[in-house]
Amino acid sequence: MIFASKAFFIFLPTVLAGYHLLARRSPKYTLLLAASWLFYAWVPPHYLWVILLLTAIDYVAGLRIERSADNHVRRLWLTVSVVSNLGLLVAFKYTGFFYDNAVSLAQGLGVPLAERAWHVVLPLGISYHTFQGISYTVDVYRGNIRAVRSFRDYALFVSFFPQLAAGPIVRAVEFLPQMVTPPRVTPQQVSDGISLFVFGLFKKLVIADNLDLLFVGPVFHDPAAFDDAAHRWAVVAWAVQIYCDFSGYTDMAIGTAKVFGFELPPNFRLPYLATSIADFWRRWHLSLSTWLRDYLYFPMGGSRHGPARTYFNLMVVFVLCGLWHGAAWNWLAYGAFNGALMSLHRAYDRVITGVPWADALRATAGWKVLAWVGTAYQFLIGLILIRMTSWGGGLLMTRSLAGVGHIPEGDASPGFAVWGQLGVPPAVPLLIAFGLSGHVVGLLRNVGVPVPHRLPDPLRMAAAAVAAGLVLVFSPGVAKTFIYIQF
Amino acid sequence: MFGRPRSRSPTRPAMTATATPEPPPRGRLRPAAWFLAALVLVDCGVVLCRDTWERHSPDDYAEKLAGCRSRPHDFVLAGGSPVAEGLDPDVVAGVRWRGGELSDGYAIGLSGATTTETYYAVVHGCPVPPRLLVYGITASDLNDARQEPHGPYSLMTIADWVEWVRTKPESAEWVTRHFVQGRLAKCWAAFRYRHGIRMWAAETADRWLPGCCPEAAKEAGELLRYSETLRAGHGYAPAEGFVTGNYDEAKATERKLPPFGFLDKYRTGSHLKYLHKLADWAAAAGTDLVLLDMPVTADLEAKFPAAVAEYERRLAEFKAGRKVTVLCATRGAVGLGDRDFADLIHLNGGGARKLSAWLRDRLAETDRRRGEGDRP
Repeated sequence: MIFASKAFFIFLPTVLAGYHLLARRSPKYTLLLAASWLFYAWVPPHYLWVILLLTAIDYVAGLRIERSADNHVRRLWLTVSVVSNLGLLVAFKYTGFFYDNAVSLAQGLGVPLAERAWHVVLPLGISYHTFQGISYTVDVYRGNIRAVRSFRDYALFVSFFPQLAAGPIVRAVEFLPQMVTPPRVTPQQVSDGISLFVFGLFKKLVIADNLDLLFVGPVFHDPAAFDDAAHRWAVVAWAVQIYCDFSGYTDMAIGTAKVFGFELPPNFRLPYLATSIADFWRRWHLSLSTWLRDYLYFPMGGSRHGPARTYFNLMVVFVLCGLWHGAAWNWLAYGAFNGALMSLHRAYDRVITGVPWADALRATAGWKVLAWVGTAYQFLIGLILIRMTSWGGGLLMTRSLAGVGHIPEGDASPGFAVWGQLGVPPAVPLLIAFGLSGHVVGLLRNVGVPVPHRLPDPLRMAAAAVAAGLVLVFSPGVAKTFIYIQF
Repeated sequence: MFGRPRSRSPTRPAMTATATPEPPPRGRLRPAAWFLAALVLVDCGVVLCRDTWERHSPDDYAEKLAGCRSRPHDFVLAGGSPVAEGLDPDVVAGVRWRGGELSDGYAIGLSGATTTETYYAVVHGCPVPPRLLVYGITASDLNDARQEPHGPYSLMTIADWVEWVRTKPESAEWVTRHFVQGRLAKCWAAFRYRHGIRMWAAETADRWLPGCCPEAAKEAGELLRYSETLRAGHGYAPAEGFVTGNYDEAKATERKLPPFGFLDKYRTGSHLKYLHKLADWAAAAGTDLVLLDMPVTADLEAKFPAAVAEYERRLAEFKAGRKVTVLCATRGAVGLGDRDFADLIHLNGGGARKLSAWLRDRLAETDRRRGEGDRP
């Protein structure tokens, strides 16, 4: 089940009403767990065993790790947990990729190997709940948290439906303390929950889906048929689309959790205001980047073993980060590209930091604007990598982004009406402006403009109601899943 | 154990925040109440302008029903899309019937309608029964593999739903689902009129900034014209694509036509019950019922020979059993060729004129024969 589906709009009020009508902790959590498993099993139902099995393994592993004083045994159970989670993740997500590459390699060597005629459907949210399971057992192993005694409580932590499909990746230390007694919903949480849910829906259905349908999809599908101006617009529109799609989902997840009284961690901090690539990764998909930092980068040594090892660690982390998103070469390239940028930025930062004139220059507004432009350019190139349908098409769009002109091939009609000299349907700049409006507000706050953080509830709810109406009217009506659910 | 009051869990201290007194329920629900109130206000605003939205995206079933109900008519032409595109009441008007002239007619041809929808359209569209009811029937009207959700949505009342469930229990779940969905959709005006609002927005934006959304503005313009024709005319409002379409040319240029699935999995029996109900209604109302077997292309007949044979058998049984007049508008009789069709089943503008004129002549002849004591 996904948030923007009809089934969900029956499911959510039903579960919400049941949850708040029940008075005691036990039935409340049992209902929530049953609802979460129903949410998971909606499509396809035969994968329910995946989450049940991993939940059982991690639950037992957590208890065994805590109860044992023998380090060998503790490490063994930790290995069981990590291998189970990663094993199933790799099996479902990367089998096809490995097989396809084996076929290509075999064909290259002249060995006949049949191309696959099968397709693996990913279980819902497997990339997210496996990471939650690993973080739990690792935290128990490290002694950061106590193992959960109740299977139901642990299962609810793993499969709590608002964050099940596409995160945020919640840590046990963030979620379990909230479960000790059922959280009481405050008026502020209700208000925040409704606004986050409705505006998240608006971001997804009105901004992201319309951008994709109107412009981004056609241009990325066949870039050769469009000129360089269209390429540049399409890359910017794609950046806004992926942000609105994913942050829209996150807003809806956080909003839904709030109306049950739970708080989920934020996933975004105005990422497109970043002034360096390192800054960008501190603002984009926070729950994943901090997970990779705490459970991969730091255990590998982080930056404690000299520059060369640090760059190596960064490359490994980002290549795996790329592959986590998708089993494809372009995702691997995306990871390597970001790893290289992070390493270069780190090297540059090491050299320049502490030099008085350089520090003074970097503190100026002009430098910040320049740094912002440079950073935007870097992540836009990265975004081409993950949307391109062919390497040739990606190169063409990257050249356009670099200012190299391109004249469309043949008589191909763009498939949409462009407006004036913009070379883009007029709705596109409008949707981009809507999508980035939150960033503009954030920027205004950063420069000291007194923009209120919170409108009075009546105004807020009126705005949410208008947004709900706009969602009804202006959503394209073509069911498109959330991008990050596919990861 | 984790979560119990005496738990040793280190997470226990984090519960201090939840130990605060529970806020009063009214306070907790206030934002939700504000939100609901705002939704209702937005919806009221939408309802206030409903005529604008309806004009920009007319519900043709509802508009034709309202048009037909607006005043009594001498005759009514009913049926599915072949009637909507192929019979012009203005051409038929003027024919003499049972000693009087049929001067005012209305075409309640509903796209996608089966015999069941036609029955409900006639029953609700004619509070004052007409003197003559012509039902332009085709094989697809009787195909039980087809259900038209527009019927439960726009034509049916609760009593009709109950009647359907009793008459056609095999589709009780389907009709209930669509009937309830239709009723719920009508409760939320923003949802009901969403397409009309979108068309209005496109048209308004294009008026202010010409060329900004030409495709949507063109669609909005076409829908506005369609709506005006529906409201002002006699129900005959063929789509421009059908009026100018030419099946002969389409075949010659090998232009790909949309697939025709209305005769797939052909079976009869369920919709046929409503043909009998229509005959019963006409008999009770004192209305003459004439069935017009609508012309279709030779290609359609060749493509679905079993369905056509089944349909003709059912029609013959009905004619014999109910003693109803059936006019067979074969292509040869009317003088129609592929050039008079827009696609496999719909007539174009020229074909519609020919068929309407043929119907007028045949009605006059039928009336004359009846006067002479003969039945065709």
